[in-house]
Amino acid sequence: MNNLKIENLHVSVEDKEILKGVDLCVNAGEIHALMGPNGNGKSTLLAAIMGHPKYKVTEGTIYYNDQDVLSMTVDERSRAGLFLAMQYPQEIPGVTNSDFLRAAMNARREKPVSLFTFIKAMEKTIADLEMKEDLAHRFLNEGFSGGEKKRNEIVQMEMLKPTLSMLDEVDSGLDVDAIRIVGNAINKLRDETNMSIIVVSHYQRFLELVRPQYTHVLVDGRIVMEGDGELAGKIDSEGYDWIYKELNIQPAAKEEARKQAVSLGACAVNRSLGREG
Amino acid sequence: MLQIQENIQLVPEAGLSEYEINAEGPVEITFDAYARSDIFVRIRNAAEIRITGNVHEYAEVTVLYWNESGTEVVFDENYDVQENAVLKIAYGEVFQGNTRRNSSVLLNGRQAQATVSSAVLTQAEKTFQLNVESCVPDTIGLMNNYSVVLNGGKYRMDATGVIRKGAHRSESHQTSRSLCFDPKMNSQIIPKLIIDDNDVKASHAASVGRVDEEQLYYMQSRGLTEQQCTALISTGYLMPIVNTIENDELKEKLREELEGKIAELCSM
Repeated sequence: MNNLKIENLHVSVEDKEILKGVDLCVNAGEIHALMGPNGNGKSTLLAAIMGHPKYKVTEGTIYYNDQDVLSMTVDERSRAGLFLAMQYPQEIPGVTNSDFLRAAMNARREKPVSLFTFIKAMEKTIADLEMKEDLAHRFLNEGFSGGEKKRNEIVQMEMLKPTLSMLDEVDSGLDVDAIRIVGNAINKLRDETNMSIIVVSHYQRFLELVRPQYTHVLVDGRIVMEGDGELAGKIDSEGYDWIYKELNIQPAAKEEARKQAVSLGACAVNRSLGREG
Repeated sequence: MLQIQENIQLVPEAGLSEYEINAEGPVEITFDAYARSDIFVRIRNAAEIRITGNVHEYAEVTVLYWNESGTEVVFDENYDVQENAVLKIAYGEVFQGNTRRNSSVLLNGRQAQATVSSAVLTQAEKTFQLNVESCVPDTIGLMNNYSVVLNGGKYRMDATGVIRKGAHRSESHQTSRSLCFDPKMNSQIIPKLIIDDNDVKASHAASVGRVDEEQLYYMQSRGLTEQQCTALISTGYLMPIVNTIENDELKEKLREELEGKIAELCSM
């Protein structure tokens, strides 16, 4: 149970195809690292699993616990156990963290959580993440520093106890101490709940804390290489070039940049020489 | 709580005074405030209400009008704020009778200050014409209007800040925001500043719009339905009106009423 199964997933954003056939399987309790250069589909994959309205699935399937995820609304996916710690958490003025979290907890329970239980849980989680005590009363992410927003994502994760957490660069914007605090909180929750994790990170320091057992490398919308946790370490020390060479492929972002450079350069040269384009 | 059923003249005492308007015909209320008073006015039923408020020198008055009428009410309000006096008016409009309100505040004494706030949650028609006018130097007029317009609702906020010629060093600021959850909803804000003096500070901000798609997605990704998101965002928008009154007991009661109303309307 609690397994995620993705087959041949194609996803477009504003008619541009970003994912071009992704297959991925995550079983209960497993930790998977999703790696790849920027702009090659890592965040797109996580957003498509969560159901972001801008990401259109044009082909393929996503099943979680044998439920068809693609037929579910975003909130249904959350209540089914999926959680996405976002790269850029939204600010919601006027809505306090505590009201938001209590409503989110109640959304997945038959009987509302008592105020006493909620406050105790919230206090403990705030302490675990070493955040300021006034967090509960502050408006959701409003005026938070980058690091505070990321820690607040983990506060939400700890309170909502998902069965599959997707962490989209949750370590970016965190200092060394904060990375340790967040890493420990994730590990603690995993020990308690056996949740599965898909982690996107560029930092080996964070991956060493979370300890993925599997690594998938996403290049130009496809998983081009898979391996164990060691592969993430190799990429950290050697980069992606050896993968491009070995597989004779190019990342999406670089291809785009090169095309632009050629056309701009050619135009600029022609113009400077007074020639027609 | 004093029941008001016919024309009345009031002198609110220091502290909290509570009134309830339940009148068959038109009713006229005049008040003269001299102290530091909180006034809570609950409108149960009335077709036409005329209010004249005189805030005398050094008085500090907060008035919260909580309109519970299920039928149309027409308000015509005029306030005179004297030297060093402070007037805060708050309008709570979360029930479903139509409202037409014409409210004018004249800052007639030096150092006079007035703040007019409104919180509207509506499926009915709510029309406001607010006017806060600095008539003499060194006065401050502020307006803060927040509305959530639901399916079938119609909202119009015509907010005018005026600084007359000679009212040097006066300030006029206003913010009006209206939130809609459906593109077919009808919401209009007309912010105006009429400034006839050179040495002033003035500003206005207005927005009418739907909830940001990214914000909605973020909240839904934590398991909240669209209705629950609507209710939470509306609560954040409107709840500050409750805090205009200092009395904790009344504040708690209004908070519960507002939450109940939001839950009821946002689940429809």
